[in-house]
Amino acid sequence: MITLSDVSKIYNEGRPNAVTALHAVTLTIARGGVTVFMGPSGSGKTTLLSLVGCMARPSTGRITLDGAPVSGLPERFLTDLRRRHFGFVFQRFNLIRGLTVLDNVMLPAAPLGEDPRAVQARALARLEALGLGPKALMPVEVLSGGETQRAAIARALVNDAPVLIADEPTANLDTALTHRFLDIVAALRDQGKTVLLTSHDPRIIAAAPVSAVVEMRDGQVVEVRS
Amino acid sequence: MNALRRQRALADYTIAALSRRKVKNLALVAVFSLVVFLLASAMFFASALRQEADAALEGAPDLIVQQLSLGRQAMISADLIDDLASIRGVRDVRGRLWGYYYDRVSGANYTVMVPEAGQMPPPGQVIIGEGIARARGLEWQGAPLFLSRKQGDLNRFDVAQTFESDSALLTADLLLMNAADFRAFFSVPEDMFTDLAASVRNPRERATVVDKASRAMPDARFVTRDDIARTYMKLFDWREGMMVALAAVAMLAFAIFAADKASGLSAEEAREIGILKAIGWDTRDVIAMKLWEGGFVSLGAFLLGTTAAYAHVFWAGAPLFAPVLKGWAVIYPAFRLAPGVDLSELVVLLLLTTLPYAAATVVPVWRAASADPDAVMR
Ligand SMILES: Nc1ncnc2c1ncn2[C@@H]1O[C@H](COP(=O)(O)OP(=O)(O)OP(=O)(O)O)[C@@H](O)[C@H]1O
Ligand SMILES: [Mg+2]
Repeated sequence: MITLSDVSKIYNEGRPNAVTALHAVTLTIARGGVTVFMGPSGSGKTTLLSLVGCMARPSTGRITLDGAPVSGLPERFLTDLRRRHFGFVFQRFNLIRGLTVLDNVMLPAAPLGEDPRAVQARALARLEALGLGPKALMPVEVLSGGETQRAAIARALVNDAPVLIADEPTANLDTALTHRFLDIVAALRDQGKTVLLTSHDPRIIAAAPVSAVVEMRDGQVVEVRS
Repeated sequence: MNALRRQRALADYTIAALSRRKVKNLALVAVFSLVVFLLASAMFFASALRQEADAALEGAPDLIVQQLSLGRQAMISADLIDDLASIRGVRDVRGRLWGYYYDRVSGANYTVMVPEAGQMPPPGQVIIGEGIARARGLEWQGAPLFLSRKQGDLNRFDVAQTFESDSALLTADLLLMNAADFRAFFSVPEDMFTDLAASVRNPRERATVVDKASRAMPDARFVTRDDIARTYMKLFDWREGMMVALAAVAMLAFAIFAADKASGLSAEEAREIGILKAIGWDTRDVIAMKLWEGGFVSLGAFLLGTTAAYAHVFWAGAPLFAPVLKGWAVIYPAFRLAPGVDLSELVVLLLLTTLPYAAATVVPVWRAASADPDAVMR
């Protein structure tokens, strides 16, 4: 279970350009479900995911992961949590240019010291599942928008993390590929994993595996539907 | 096993990352190698010179006696050998025959010497330094060497052998002759020598010996081994000083280079670090990766630079330092310094090139890597 109590995030705090991106958010996210965050642009969805994903710390309030508080931990503990708990698909993909698709997908495993052959096999399997097998050895900058997005998804899945955090993962995918992604999400849910998504896409929200929809506006949670 | 695999994965990543920006990184290694090359050249050269000085001093006698005439050096009479030998503490007095010969054919000055009995070439034969052999094109043993002192008078000598010596600087222009040949060729009377050399039983007695001898021989000048050492010191100190100046310039270049590196990461590098952190790389992992990068670059530059410097100094005869060496011997560019590398100096150079570079790369990376990575979320 992931809980947020009274969590606020103010960027540039104390300076004239301060922005309150989240305002006193209290929310409980069940483990083993698929939660979709919706809301207009700038409503704080990405900010919320970055707090839950231990990428940043809240300005005020408390976040717990399976009962353990994470909001006050120093950076190296947060890194460790990120590594062990989360796989990320970023809104802008953030693949590393100049490396091949396969190298990019294998990146999250590099610090784990696993057998490189096992990692590579896993990475190839993920790429295969997303229809990117033939592109594995291409440099990422030649991929199309949709291929880039799928490479980013494959990278998020490579470490088999218990929580997948995906920010607008289907914005560049057509209907067929969106369904492919949703199949993966359903499979993850069936394995007992937790998936957090943001999306504007009605196909996602209506999809079968979704267990909760969180509606946000102006940095606040306005509605939770399960 | 895990830690090893982790380093392996980080190193693999580094190689992939380095090969992305081939031109930039090759340029970096090139500049860096050049700095190392200059430093290492200066270092090899300085220690080769020091070795030369040591070699020169090793063969130097304890005491040299020169005859002065009107304040200038003249030939010394063989009679003085016994006078000198009679002073307590002095032994092995011998008269030496040596001088300079200007060779019009090669336009160079040779140092002509009569060696001690054991190394004396038979009459009609000479032993020559590499420089002379090269200057006169005497490639084979037994080649004739024609020398002439005045118009119309040509003397033929046979080259018995060419020098093999540790100290090319000192032997390059050396020509060894039989004593009788020397006297005949330079018209030196039978009872005269260039100077006298003696050994002194106890090095601490040298000053007393000189004191006594100068009273017995008022027209002589005495040069002790210490004087020679001091002269060499001065000579080499000056030359080394030039090297130090050069090294300073190279260090300065390196400092500018490192400062530029330390002043910050490009936006792209910073973002890359953010991405790596976001997907679970530790600050330690990022720094280790950058250390690998710095290691590849600086070790590569070190190997390239020192190899090039070795070739430059010991194979090519340090052409870059020609101005420093000029005046040593006219034969100059033809000699080769004896290869010799001081291991401890090499280690210092290695640390000097890798450590500041590593520090210069790690500091900004550490700063970037300790920040929250949430910037990559958008
Ligand atoms: N680093 C930052 N500095 C200043 N303001 C920021 C920063 N990051 C986010 N913001 C602001 O916080 C607010 C919330 O941003 P956030 O990215 O969470 O919105 P979002 O719901 O993900 O929007 P979108 O649907 O467009 O991705 C926005 O007004 C944004 O401008
Ligand atoms: Mg967003």
